This record gives sequence, structure tokens and C-alpha cells, in this order.
Amino acid sequence: MGVLDYIWLGILAVFQGPEIFSVAGFGISVTLVMILSGFLMGILVGATPGLAGPMAMAISLPILISIFGFTPDALLPVMGFLIGVMKGATVGGAVPAILFNTPGTPDAYMTTLDGHPMAKAGQARKALKIAHVSSASGDTFSDVVLILCAPFLAVLVEAYLDLPEKTALLILSLAFIASVIGGSVGKGLISMGLGLFVAYVGTGEDFYPRLSLGTQTLAQGFPVATAILGVLILGEVFKALEDLWWDRRAARPPAELVQSGDQRLHWADIRRIAPYIGRSAVIGTAIGALPGIGSTLAATLGYASGARVHARTRPGERPFGQGAPEGIAATEAANSSVSGANLIPVLSLGIPGNAAAVFLILAAESIGGFNPGPSVFKFTADAVNPELVVAFGLFTAMMLANLLNWTIGGVFMRVAGVMIRIPKHILLPVVLLLTLTAIYVQEARMSAMWFAVGFGVLGYGMRRLGISPLPFVIAFILGGKLEDTARQAFAATGGDVWFLFTSPVAAVFIALAVAVVVLSLRRPLEAKA
Amino acid sequence: MRALLKSAAAALTGLALAGAAAASDWTPPGPIKLMIAFAAGGGADTQARLIAEDLEAKLGWSFIPEQVTGKGGMNLAMAIKDMPNDGSVIGMVVTETLGYNMAAAEAGVTPADYTPIVTTAGFQMGVVAQSAKGWTSFADVVAAAKDGAELRFGTMSPKLTDLAYLLGKAQGVEFNIVQVRGGRAVMNGVNAGDMDLGFMAGIQTKGVAAGELVNLASALSVPLNQTPEAPTLADLGVDFNADGYFLFIGPAGMPEDARDALAAAIAEAVSTEGMKSNGVIAKAFGGPAVIMGDELSALVAGDYEAAGALLQAASE
Repeated sequence: MGVLDYIWLGILAVFQGPEIFSVAGFGISVTLVMILSGFLMGILVGATPGLAGPMAMAISLPILISIFGFTPDALLPVMGFLIGVMKGATVGGAVPAILFNTPGTPDAYMTTLDGHPMAKAGQARKALKIAHVSSASGDTFSDVVLILCAPFLAVLVEAYLDLPEKTALLILSLAFIASVIGGSVGKGLISMGLGLFVAYVGTGEDFYPRLSLGTQTLAQGFPVATAILGVLILGEVFKALEDLWWDRRAARPPAELVQSGDQRLHWADIRRIAPYIGRSAVIGTAIGALPGIGSTLAATLGYASGARVHARTRPGERPFGQGAPEGIAATEAANSSVSGANLIPVLSLGIPGNAAAVFLILAAESIGGFNPGPSVFKFTADAVNPELVVAFGLFTAMMLANLLNWTIGGVFMRVAGVMIRIPKHILLPVVLLLTLTAIYVQEARMSAMWFAVGFGVLGYGMRRLGISPLPFVIAFILGGKLEDTARQAFAATGGDVWFLFTSPVAAVFIALAVAVVVLSLRRPLEAKA
Repeated sequence: MRALLKSAAAALTGLALAGAAAASDWTPPGPIKLMIAFAAGGGADTQARLIAEDLEAKLGWSFIPEQVTGKGGMNLAMAIKDMPNDGSVIGMVVTETLGYNMAAAEAGVTPADYTPIVTTAGFQMGVVAQSAKGWTSFADVVAAAKDGAELRFGTMSPKLTDLAYLLGKAQGVEFNIVQVRGGRAVMNGVNAGDMDLGFMAGIQTKGVAAGELVNLASALSVPLNQTPEAPTLADLGVDFNADGYFLFIGPAGMPEDARDALAAAIAEAVSTEGMKSNGVIAKAFGGPAVIMGDELSALVAGDYEAAGALLQAASE
């Protein structure tokens, strides 16, 4: 059994799986149908403000398993569906960010920065097309890297990153995001500090819940969905409702976003954004290959590096943050290129990097017959390694989903532009209701609603004060991980308090973290002088 | 083998009692709120949800599952304490919650504040390492540590951390004990090389069968089903063990007919081949282990008392 045999078997497993129906004598395998339906569901869910891919995956996984059962035959259809959802939602996620300024996931937040200004300037359809091309390119690039490198890369990364290095890397990520996003280092640090503070309520290793003020409601901490969706979506909805109210008071008709001008995507446009897509795709893929960091960081890094290059090389043009097509391209390519590379640590080590990967692992475990881990990539010569066949089947499914992304995804993005005509006084309540419903589905208790509204008010306040909510969201997501790895690194080094500085790699990360904050503080001073 | 016989016997008792339950006419006063102390989607959570599904299908009861995670089950214990005790609210934890965790938390509650209903499955808790390490017995680990290797020992609860400490002490070596969340995190850590060895509660079964992982010792009072030749903690000089079960509880003072009907119904679901919950328990937790009634009350009380001794021993 050579490598090519395995690839061929994997492709056959997708196309010749159990048949669901036949067209003109050709059996259509159930896996193909599941990839397509997953993709359609994903793109719809991604495009709906308030919903996001991981949530759709969470809801559909138990339903899929009860339909397909626990046999190895169920693996490819179920995981194909989930991959379809993941890919569809990645492309669709740009739609609410661009049209309504409400990102469904934190990684689409940066898309709003340039996408929504473009929509307001009458270029919504063009912005959507740019998002589509960038997202699909980044995704495809990442998948190719995954297929070529999966067996070696993750093992290599793990070999260099021990617990202290992982802790230092998380600190570097937080420092970077706090100082680069939102113009002001001070505001970024405030936002990040708030996020860490909220993440540490009720959590921790002691049996006694900390910072819970003695109430049972806070003892479990704040659910992820309430904090993220509250700050990102409800905050925006509250702010938009207030704007609407002011407009009414001033007896002004609410601003309708008139779409005008050339909405087509020309070759010249593509050539212009191509370098940004390329750079972000590499950044996203590299970040995705690190276990447990995730797509929001990739989007941020892609955007930030794109912004710097843009300011340097094209000083005369529209800068990032005011409706630059390059800004959308840099963000979307970066956050989409995480999804493929993220499966590198998943398949070769069994360690998830983002929410979508968690559900793929869950599906594999619930069904059985496929254990993400080091054994997957053993190219056995004498007997067939069924797990490797499944792995290549998954790769085939991903490439098929990419194909759908380029074709159906493009059509969808063109059509989605119509949604911008929905009047705000109808849209905003719908988004509010959808978001609250989405949170309640995940956290079936009334206190989650109050938390969400509370975080919405916080997000509203941050927007009014010009504080970017993104450092808050990322700090909230990474806060628990930071505490865990720091505790573990401390324990693993035998209680060495200097664990962040004893290994060269970790020390370099920490030095970079300090440098990035200091340098960002200095830059505005230079500009003033 | 003994453990297997024990669980088989327990399963049979469960079946016998289940017959009795069918005759009893207790029915829940409404939908039953099922609190789950485990993260959504994991093996334990799946088990709880499938038990609910089985009972819904078989008896027509309806369940509302709800995650109440964190603090080794103590969050659930605190939340369920003041709920109605008529059988309309139950929760799934581990015996360690009402034992070591409750004793260590000093949160003002004791097992007397709860009604233990039934256990469903036990843990096949082993001390596990990657085969690639080249260790074939626990003695090899001790020898490596005595040669000066700094060994990282992964655990997933404060009780296991104490046990790892005592294990090192009994063998005259010192481990760097790394406590993480859940058995899966220990397995990831061991596979990724962040830890050298660690406690795993049954999740290692597939890896051991595939020859990638190796059970070096049993953390139970009895040998492991899969690797009976591995020594137990008692063989290695530790007077405590990690025996434990998944446990359904309710608030204190639950009427006996409600408790017994719930216990019998759950016991029947997990012990009957073909039921969904039985399938997952057989696959992930080495088969059902049903304990209920007075035997369970004695087990829970005993665990709580033993916790004090373990805490004392580990702080010496």
C-alpha cells in the first residue's frame, strides 16, 4: 500500500460510499449529499446575523448521530456534513459583518472594519465578492498545506512548544492584540483586562468558586456564548437602535444605504488584493497549525500586517478601517485559512484549535472507528490502515466543499447583497431575537439571558467610548487557557517561578510581548513630533 | 476478573430490581430536570443524555438535561441541594464529588444533604504512559526517576493529585504533578509529550489495545480489566485508591418510592443490552456497574470519611 493507493481509497470512500439514490444508473453516495447539505446549511447560518457555524455544528451533531448510528460507515457522511457547515459558515460569516456590522463570530469582527464602511459607501456587493474570493482562496490554500504537511508539521510544532513556551505564546498573542487593535494601547489594554477579569469569575481549580460574590448564579462563571455574542452583537444592536432613535427624533429619515457604482470585481481588483490574500493565507495557515490558538488571532494578525504594508506601500490610497477592499481581503483570507491547517493538530495529535475542530473530534469519538492522534498517519504497507483511508476521505470532502465554495458560494454572495435593503427597524429586532435564541439554545437558563443583555450594555458602552471590543473577546476566550497552561507549566517545571524565562523560546516570546506594547506606545508620540 | 464479576453481579441485581420497579406505580410529577456535572459532548455527558433518552423511550418520562459543570461536581451539588426532592430534579456526578471533593471544599454540606440514587459505571483508572517511553512496568518509571529524570505526572482532580504525590512518596521519588481538566487532557498531554505519565479513567483503553499506550499500574483497589498484571496502588505502597463510579443523586429526603423507581429505571437502562446508554457504557467505561440502596448509602458515607484520611496523609 503506497501513498497513492491510500489517496485513491480515500477518494473512493467518498464517492462510492453507501448510496442514497441513483441518477441515470449512477449511484450518488450519501457522503456527497451530506457535504452539499452541510455546506448549504453552513452558508445560511453564517450569513444570518446572530448565528454561527460552531453553533449549527453543536445542534446538528446529536441529530446526525442518531440518524447514522455508531457504525464506521457513518463517519464520512457525518464528518462530511460538519466540514460542509464549517466551510459554508466561513464564507457566509462575512455577510452580516459587511452588511449589518454584526459579526457572527469574533474572527469576522475585523471584516466589519472595512466591509461595513464599503457597504455604507454603496459598495456592498463588491465588498461581498472580495470577501468571497479572499475567503475561498485562503481556505483552499490552507487545505492544500494540510494535505501535504499534516503528518509531520504538528509533531514538529509540539516538539518545540513545551508548556512554558505555550504560556509565553498566549501572553504574546494577548499583548499583540491589545496594542495593535483599536488605535490606542491604553484602551486596548483596558478592553483586554476586562476580558481576563470576566473570564476569571467562577473558574479556577479551587473547590470554592472565586469572585462569585457568594451567589450560585456566578459560581459557574459566564458562559462563552453570552459574553461573546453579547458584546459583539447585542452591543452593536443597542448602538444601532439608539442611532435609529436619534434619527427619528431629528425627524430625519433613517439613512438608507444606496448601492451605486461599479459592483463588479475586475481582474485589476483581484491583482490589487492578491498580495494581501497571499500574506494572510500564510499567516492564517501558520497560526492554524499551532495547537489551540485559533482563527481570531489569525484574522487580527492578518489584518494588522496587511494594514502596515498598506500604509507603507500605498500611502495615497484609502487606509484600512475606512473601507479599503484590501482590509476585507486580509481578514477573510486569514480567518478562513485557519480552518484547514487547524486540522493538522487535530488529526495528528487529537488537539483542537477552534470550536469547529472540537465538534469534528467529538463526532469521531462518538461514532468510533477513527481516533484522531498519532496512529492516523501510519502508512502501513501490508494491511490497510482504515483510519488513514478515512483521513484521505476527509481531505476529499474538504476539497469538494472548497469546490462548492468557489461555485455556489459565489452565487450566494452575489444574491446576499439584496439583504442590505431590509429596513433597520425590522432587521435589528430580528437580530436581537435570533441572538438571544441562539444563546438560550446553548445555555438553557434564564440567567444566561441577563448575562447576555449585561454584556450587550458593556459592548454598547465600549463602542460609545471608542474602545475596541475585540481584545475583550479574545482575552475572554484565551483567559482560561492562559491560566491553565501557566499553572501546568509552573507545576511541570517543578515549581520554578522563572519558568517563562528559563527556556530561550519562551524568553523570546515574552521579550516580544513587552516590545510590541512599548513600540505601539511610542508610535503616536513620534507622529506628534 | 473480580471487577468484571462484581459488575456483572451488580448488573443482575439491577435487572431484578428493575422488574420490581415496573410493578411500582411511582411516576415523576412532571418533566425531570437532569443536571449534568460534565462538559457537554464528552463521554460522561453522552452517557447521561443517552440514559435520559432510553427512559423517555421506554417509560415515557420526559427529561430536561442541563449542564452544571465545574469544581469537580461541587457546583452541581450546591445547585441541587435546595431543589424539590420529589424526584423531579436529579443530577449526575461522580462518587468523588460527595467524597473527597465535598470534604475538601468545606462548603457547608455533607453527603447527608443528598439522596444517592444509583451508580451506572466505574472507572478503569490506570497509571498510563506512552509505549514509546520504553517503560513496561511501574518499576521502570521509578528507576528512571531515581536516575535523575524529572518526570511529569498528569492528573485530573485534586484527589488524584494527592494520590500521585503519595505514590511518589511511597516509591521514594518526586514527580512534577501537573493537574489538568479531564482525562482527555491527560491523554493529550501524554501523547503530545507535555507529560510523561498520568491517570486515565478508561479513555486509554483504545490506545493500550493499539499498543501506543501502556497501563503501568492500576489506581483501583483491584487490577485493571485490560492489564491485570499491572500492580495496584496498594501493591505499590499507597493505602488509598481511586475507586469511583458515576453517580446519580437528588436532594436530601427524597421519598423512597421515588428514589427506588428512579434507581431501578436507570439501572435497567444501563444494564440492558441494546439500550443506547448500555452501548456507550460498554464501549467507553468497561460495562455497567450498578450499586444502589443501602449498599450505595454505605459506599458514599465511607468515601466521605476516607477523604479526611487521604487529605491528612497528603499534607504530611
